[in-house]
Amino acid sequence: MERRTFFKVMAAGATIVAVNPSLIRGNLYADDGRMYAAYDKVQIVDAAGNPIKASSLEKEVTYIFNYPYASTPCMLVNLPEPTQQDVALKSEMGEEYVWKSGVGKERTIVAYSAICAHQLTHPTPNDSFIKYVPKNVKTMAYEKSGIIVCSSHLSAYDASAGAKVLAGAAPQPLAAIVLEVAPDDTIWAVGVLGSDKFQDYFRAFKPELKDFYNGIAQGKQLVSISAKTVKLTEYSKEIIQY
Amino acid sequence: MKKIVTALALASLLFGFANAAEKKDPRLELMKDMRTMLDAMEQIQRGGLYSSTEDMKSGVKKLQGTLKSLEGDEVKSILPKDQVYAYKFAQKTAGMLRLYSDDMITSIEAGRMDDALEDYTQLLKQCTSCHIRIRNW
Repeated sequence: MERRTFFKVMAAGATIVAVNPSLIRGNLYADDGRMYAAYDKVQIVDAAGNPIKASSLEKEVTYIFNYPYASTPCMLVNLPEPTQQDVALKSEMGEEYVWKSGVGKERTIVAYSAICAHQLTHPTPNDSFIKYVPKNVKTMAYEKSGIIVCSSHLSAYDASAGAKVLAGAAPQPLAAIVLEVAPDDTIWAVGVLGSDKFQDYFRAFKPELKDFYNGIAQGKQLVSISAKTVKLTEYSKEIIQY
Repeated sequence: MKKIVTALALASLLFGFANAAEKKDPRLELMKDMRTMLDAMEQIQRGGLYSSTEDMKSGVKKLQGTLKSLEGDEVKSILPKDQVYAYKFAQKTAGMLRLYSDDMITSIEAGRMDDALEDYTQLLKQCTSCHIRIRNW
């Protein structure tokens, strides 16, 4: 390859990646402390497999989808107001990163891992102790609502600020799921920002994964193409919120 | 007549005592169960450290014998007053203790001792998690 051609290829590649970071797969730990793990770009679809449109998401309802693994639950919420922007966050290990903002026309749509950063509480088909608490519903975890609460040990996370810890024993924010909204209003998950607890989760809930996913291997499969999304009220038989 | 009245009074008094003894204080029962759980956990740990699967299995059996009171609705009567609302959490913890202890037996019988000891770690985590929550530790 000629030198000129080589530079052209490199420049084209860099431009494509700059426009669409989800093309990169793997972990990025930049010198400035940003922390991002890219996974397959996956479309958020309903239980019937139809694409969910950003504008059709009900406000302040907790939706659940599994990403980036078949057994790792995530929350999708359309908040009542635009989120904050460029929120500086810190992981349990002191790694700093920046959560950009919610997505959608009004920057109100957010997604986070639904595995609590404290003791890995998460929604299961049987029950859920973690959810978004709408603004008009009281919680014991924090003085204000419109936040994410884990009712196991009353950890509270700011849904509009990258799941920053507001109260409780959680040592770090929930990992954020990086979303993109396409021009046709469809929603896509492209990666995970922040410190996730996926490996701890797989180790701790091995017996549970055997029950719900017919084994660990199936539970650890990466999600590709699309992720089925349902309301938490449909995902879990019982929802407990304090 | 006097003798009959005295006998009746004595009989009802004795019946009252017997009834009271039968109706055990649920809080005392819980404390007893907690002590049994501690024994069971120690036995499982000892079994793990001394390579005695029999000790581990016996510890699991002992532990599972204590879970009934936490799994049912009677748990409400044994929780501290300010924590009664959180009875679902205690029930969930009991469910997880059962899950991990069942898995421990499966792991032992399959000869997967690493998995069995991981189950022990998770059992201990469930115990402390519940104590942090319910006892405001």
